Amino acid sequence: MNRLLFYILLLPILFTACTERIDISLDETYTRLVVDGGISNDTGAYGIYLTKTADYFFNEPAPRVVNAVAWLTDGSNEYLLSETDPGFSGLYQTDSSFAGQIGKTYTLNIELPEKIDDRTQYSSSCKMISVARLDSIAVTFQPDWGKKGFWEIKLWAQDPGDEVNYYMFHYYRNDTLMTDSIWKVSITDDRYFNGNYIYGATAVYINNDHYWETLRPGDKVKLQMSGITKEYYNFISQVREAGYSIPFFSGPPANVIGNISDGAVGFFSAYSDSWATTRVK
Amino acid sequence: MNSMIRKIHILFFFLSAFTLVIRAAPGPESAKKWTISGSIRDKSNGEYLTGATIFVTELKTGTVSDLYGHYSMTLAEGSYTLQFSYIGYKTELRQVDLTSNRTINIDFDPSTENLKEVVVTSEQSNKNVARPEMSTFKMDIKTIKSIPSLMGEVDIIKAIQLLPGVQSVSEGGSGFSVRGGAPDQNLIILDEATVYNASHLMGFFSVFNNDAIKDVKLYKGDIPPMYGGRLSSVLDVRMKEGNSKRFEVTGGIGLIASRLTVEGPVWKDRISFVVSGRRTYADLFLPLSTEKALQNNKLYFYDLNAKINYRIDENNHLFLSGYFGRDVFKNTFAKMSWGNATGTIRWNHLFGKKLFGNFTFVYSDYRYLLGTPEGQTTSFEWNSNLRDAGVKGDFSYYVNPNNTLRFGVSGVYHMINPGVARGTGSESIYTEVIVPENFSLETGIYIGNEQKAGKHWTLKYGIRLSLFQNVGPGTIYNFDSLYNPIDSTVYASGDFYNSYYGIEPRLGILYTFNERSSIKASYSRTNQYLQLAQNSTAGTPLDIWFPASPNIKPQVSDQGAIGYFRNFLHNTIETSVEVYYKHMNNVIDFKDFAVLLLNEEIEGEVREGKGWSYGAEFLVRVTEKKFGGWISYTYSRSMRQIAEINNGDPYPAPYDKPHNIAIVGNYQFHPRWSVSANWVFATGNPATFPTGRAEIGGKVIPIYSDRNAYRYPDYNRLDLSITFSSKQREGRKFNWDINASVYNVYNRHNTWSVNFVQDTENSNVTHAEKVYLFGIVPSITFNFHF
Repeated sequence: MNRLLFYILLLPILFTACTERIDISLDETYTRLVVDGGISNDTGAYGIYLTKTADYFFNEPAPRVVNAVAWLTDGSNEYLLSETDPGFSGLYQTDSSFAGQIGKTYTLNIELPEKIDDRTQYSSSCKMISVARLDSIAVTFQPDWGKKGFWEIKLWAQDPGDEVNYYMFHYYRNDTLMTDSIWKVSITDDRYFNGNYIYGATAVYINNDHYWETLRPGDKVKLQMSGITKEYYNFISQVREAGYSIPFFSGPPANVIGNISDGAVGFFSAYSDSWATTRVK
Repeated sequence: MNSMIRKIHILFFFLSAFTLVIRAAPGPESAKKWTISGSIRDKSNGEYLTGATIFVTELKTGTVSDLYGHYSMTLAEGSYTLQFSYIGYKTELRQVDLTSNRTINIDFDPSTENLKEVVVTSEQSNKNVARPEMSTFKMDIKTIKSIPSLMGEVDIIKAIQLLPGVQSVSEGGSGFSVRGGAPDQNLIILDEATVYNASHLMGFFSVFNNDAIKDVKLYKGDIPPMYGGRLSSVLDVRMKEGNSKRFEVTGGIGLIASRLTVEGPVWKDRISFVVSGRRTYADLFLPLSTEKALQNNKLYFYDLNAKINYRIDENNHLFLSGYFGRDVFKNTFAKMSWGNATGTIRWNHLFGKKLFGNFTFVYSDYRYLLGTPEGQTTSFEWNSNLRDAGVKGDFSYYVNPNNTLRFGVSGVYHMINPGVARGTGSESIYTEVIVPENFSLETGIYIGNEQKAGKHWTLKYGIRLSLFQNVGPGTIYNFDSLYNPIDSTVYASGDFYNSYYGIEPRLGILYTFNERSSIKASYSRTNQYLQLAQNSTAGTPLDIWFPASPNIKPQVSDQGAIGYFRNFLHNTIETSVEVYYKHMNNVIDFKDFAVLLLNEEIEGEVREGKGWSYGAEFLVRVTEKKFGGWISYTYSRSMRQIAEINNGDPYPAPYDKPHNIAIVGNYQFHPRWSVSANWVFATGNPATFPTGRAEIGGKVIPIYSDRNAYRYPDYNRLDLSITFSSKQREGRKFNWDINASVYNVYNRHNTWSVNFVQDTENSNVTHAEKVYLFGIVPSITFNFHF
């Protein structure tokens, strides 16, 4: 609903607004730890990236945090994460046999080799939430929108009525993950359809104008629906808005709210998945 | 509750005591006294003139006509020369032998070219020096029409934004900030009915069709006790009454809109009417767009103003007026509409010669609707509306030449339906989301006196008592100290479950050195009980007003100002300097990432704190026959401090633009040609910019500076227009003019917003990017009148 609103209200602006690159000098700020990663209930190796913040016009890949110690606990078990290329990558992975359990709360513990923002220990917790079963999906084409039309991935599922649910959608085209970045995933809450049967609602819009993500007849499309926490839902929506301000809608810019302790930036997420596949006709 | 009723009783007592004091002190009873009263009108169309001066030459004293063109003064028996004057009209002189009560009605002749040979030159009044009124600005529609405009649509609010102490909130928008206040702290009234959203087309146009408007007056401070309910300003817009002498048609054809106004007598000199309509047709060009999505769009607005005015007899006068406007947006996948409706019924009555009463019923309605067509899983409709119904009684009592007492009562019932969204059609998966309606009653009672004390001093003192009550049915959410909702309390229908009151003194003092210069000071306290949930700068039609409640305290402002006023060259040049300081309590802001739409727990998103603003305003205004305009410079600051925002440190308000210059001029260099220009400069809007960055999921996430620690580039713009009119001559029926205007002449790309984006080639590289709305915008309008 909000996206629609956005389109409607922005329309008059489309006639007149123009953009232009400008030079702005910005102050420097102190360095913070950045944590980015998550786990789910599917078996697999899950990675957590540890990096550092930089000045805004740093214009290079984020500096990695290497040689840290990271491990997960769920109250009874402990899972060590190991750096994929020790001393270099800053990516800390679980064992490939790892699978989270729905209902458990996972804590990520991090111990740094040297201080960032005056401390070496950071942590974060996230509960793994259940997700509704995805009954089926369908792909349709909407020729009227945009220049060349839009593809829509629609879904059928029963939304649980006794709780507020937050959903995240990833999609795969011929087994390649297309939503490979946080700003490409779709998210929704069930506020407007709580407890209803979701009968062919659109989960993903794909712009037919973008050759790199468009669909062709015969393509295999897989939709992954994940149940996420309210905090992660908010985090994703804040990340997507970050840096952009439209005077009609946007409140004053603010730092995204993550779930890492002690002033570190980022999010450690835990979620559960449900899948369905179809072919484009 | 009981203690409050007691306080009201005390206040009533105080008010009646006040009245007695004034009545008991009418001055020395040396001679018999008689009252001169009457009304002042424009001879050509019968419109009542507000603010005309009546000057008693022998006594060097006088009065001004009120909002309804009425005046009254009581003088000792004797013979006098009365001088009636009004800007742009020929001064009228009357010799009076005052031996009984007299009625003198003046029908002013508009000063046109053929009046040149008349001996009495049109002397300007020195009202701005001599009146105990500061921080106000009145503009007649003629001035407003001479200002170059965006897309040829002359606009009252855009004109207001050129005044000292008034800042536009965003480029091209209808929002304005007065002396550092928020846009929702301005009371905008059209024939006394509140206009809750004065914008058309996202604010690029205002709802006021200037063909239907007589004049506007802005109170930036020194707000008379008659007005209440908003902290920062009152923008009083008055509709034309309609020509009571003859039929008249006025119209205009512009690039994006056309206007037509018809007015005339139904019963000569007794009943007159005016009807005015306007519609845009910008959407007719949409099918030309290459964007397929735009081709099926409809996007337009229209509005309608109407007024009937019935002069029953000398002592009774009835007005009916109304406004209706809608913006409509429609295409194949969505529709949206929004707009205001207002209605006013007003009855003026003269109780004898000295007491003038005005009884008003007002209704106002603002609503919006948003939805998608039926037949889809995502079909929905979303409705919201805000309605006010109110009654007022205002009285002016012309006690004696030295005292004018004004008092009155008002009550407004607010009905707010913040939003209902529901799925439509059988396929829709959406259920219903209802934000409960709320009701409240806002009442006020006021009294004020304007007292001349000796030759040099005039005092103005008054008080307004306001009372605000939340009325059931209502649902109030209770929050813990971290603003998390705990539970809710439901109140039954008719339950007055929460009350606030405010005691609002309004004081003013005037010391005149001579006819050309004076010094003025004022203090006013104002309370505000309704506010707008808006944390963006430009604003959308999706307004949600929410009332004070057990969770939200009323906003309170104290403002003091002092000014020096000096006129030159027979009052054709008015100059003034005013400095002010304003302190505001319980001002609102919103938490980071606040959700304001369709949120029943919206009160949990609000953060309250204090604000203060101060400034100095310099104005030089010229009103010559052929040249008119002003130059203003304002230095001002506006700050906020709210515990949960910006770590509790003070931060600049979004309207904090320290330097502001406006130069506005109109020059009639030939009987048929005139040119207008305005140039504006303002410090760039305060902004929050990133100082650091983090990388998450391949996206660069900004880490921000303190709130509003940076600024956009400074704003400046020049607009020009030229008007060519038909020949002015006696008896000519059909008059016309062509106006060509250019907005943003030197095509400056003024910043509307600044975004920070990742480079599409190399995602590690980030850029700052500004968005600007208007380059150079030329337009042409044809206006006619017969």
